[in-house]
Amino acid sequence: MATENFIEFNIRKRFTGFDLDCEASFGPGVTAIFGPSGTGKTTLLNCLAGMAKPDEGSISVDGRTVFSSELKTDVRPEKRRFGYVFQDSVLFPHKSVRDNIQYGYNLTPVGSREIDLDHLVDMLGLSPLMSRNVKNLSGGEKQRVALARALAISPKLLLMDEPLASLDARFKGTIISYLKRIVRELKIPMVFVSHSLSEVTALSDDTLAIEGGRTVAFGPTRSLLGSPALAAVADYAALENILEGQALPSQDGATTSKIRVGEAELLIPAIDAAPGDAVMVSVRAGDIILSLEAPQKISARNIVKAVVREIHDLGSQVLVFADVGERITVEITPGALADLSLRVGSDVYLVIKTNSITVMS
Amino acid sequence: MDISLILLTLQIAVVATVINLPIAIGLSWLIVKRRVRGSFLLDVLVSLPLALPPVVSGYFLLLLLGREGPVGSLIRDILGVDIVFTWVAAALASAVVSFPLMARGVMTAIEGVDERLERSARSLGAGALRVAFTITLPLAYRGIMAGVLLGFVRALSEFGATIVVAGNIPGRTQTLPLAIFEKVQLGRDAEALRLVGVSIALAVATILVHNWLLSKSRTKD
Repeated sequence: MATENFIEFNIRKRFTGFDLDCEASFGPGVTAIFGPSGTGKTTLLNCLAGMAKPDEGSISVDGRTVFSSELKTDVRPEKRRFGYVFQDSVLFPHKSVRDNIQYGYNLTPVGSREIDLDHLVDMLGLSPLMSRNVKNLSGGEKQRVALARALAISPKLLLMDEPLASLDARFKGTIISYLKRIVRELKIPMVFVSHSLSEVTALSDDTLAIEGGRTVAFGPTRSLLGSPALAAVADYAALENILEGQALPSQDGATTSKIRVGEAELLIPAIDAAPGDAVMVSVRAGDIILSLEAPQKISARNIVKAVVREIHDLGSQVLVFADVGERITVEITPGALADLSLRVGSDVYLVIKTNSITVMS
Repeated sequence: MDISLILLTLQIAVVATVINLPIAIGLSWLIVKRRVRGSFLLDVLVSLPLALPPVVSGYFLLLLLGREGPVGSLIRDILGVDIVFTWVAAALASAVVSFPLMARGVMTAIEGVDERLERSARSLGAGALRVAFTITLPLAYRGIMAGVLLGFVRALSEFGATIVVAGNIPGRTQTLPLAIFEKVQLGRDAEALRLVGVSIALAVATILVHNWLLSKSRTKD
């Protein structure tokens, strides 16, 4: 059904500060538009949504031209049927949770209602909130309602503008796991804007990195990470490894909990989770120490065996992708790389303090 | 006598308000949402009667609606009646003079609705008209009502334009302010003061409701 070139665009739009001039084809998976603020990310997203009008160019989605300056086509946003989620939810304040979610559903032709409303509400854990007033919801709850509202129209494409940026870590993890579930179960193509490489890495299949309105890198996220082109706009030290693990029975009592991530077991700050529960955690790439031997008599609680899969020397910093059954990105200095004489295939130990791990759900 | 005077005053103010509301919403829409070319000119035009002496507005109306005026003669040809010196003329005079107050309130209310709410609704499949009736107007409702009441209270107190275009005919075009003016002229102070009391009561009641609506609309989000 969906082709490799699900979205094709080639657009130009003039601004006072810079010009947006961008061309790409997105697949039917999850694509991130990444870059620093004020570089045209949101404008590009709004052009796809029909909320902003390019000066020239064309946009087609799933084989249908929704904008073309040449053909003078500009399909109105209400006719495009793309879900749109804002950074801070923007729920209708005069309507209940239920009425927010049903607003678009009721406007969707019966024949196009591919997503079952009850299933959607259930999937996003919204059943207990349905008759609540939207003003009394937490940030994470609001964003789930916004997602449900956008998905209720059975959109051909889901567009999200910084969907995680205004949430604190706790809610971020929850929304990320819901988004992953949506991708898995509903298979709706997504495009989201983010200035956070951590979110991009955690969620996207492909990444379009832009700066000053121009493409600086485009390709599969996994291979872009560590590429010099992306290094120009990304801060790798702040990159967070967002990992999904399963809770293990804890022995240590209340001070720490244990989870499994890939092959590794990690001690994390105490959480309230039953064994087997999914737990999202994050660790900054710059907070992980690499060691060739398992260190002894050390306060750090996590010493995890890993294999080096990729090394990217970017001059001022080095990114190492370590494999523990899940990919963990570690940021070290070029001097450390030379001292350890790391190679692809080397066995290493990742040293991670329990308190460097942030619980996200 | 007092009762029918008050009723006529209310009737004229209500009709003026009812005429103004759709125009105020439509113009606000053009200026605030569509940002049509020449919006700033429209904006000046909307506020003009506020800056002009009401007598001037009344005189314009008289030129327009009088027997020889373009609108007046047309209406006479079609309906065979004169508008000037009737309660309808008084209502039109009140409408023109009170329009800026209402329109500015309505404009502020509509402008105050987060544009992203309207964009969300569009993305969910709602056309412009549906967005207006399900999102913008319900959310701007209290602010619009506040503007309506401000316009209404101005229409209640209208004097200058009314006396020019509708005269001061007891039982036909005489409203509270005109009646007070007449009593004062005739030196009937006691009657004048009683009507002043009625006038103040009406004004205070309307302003209280107006302020209550405004405070409600502010605490809403």
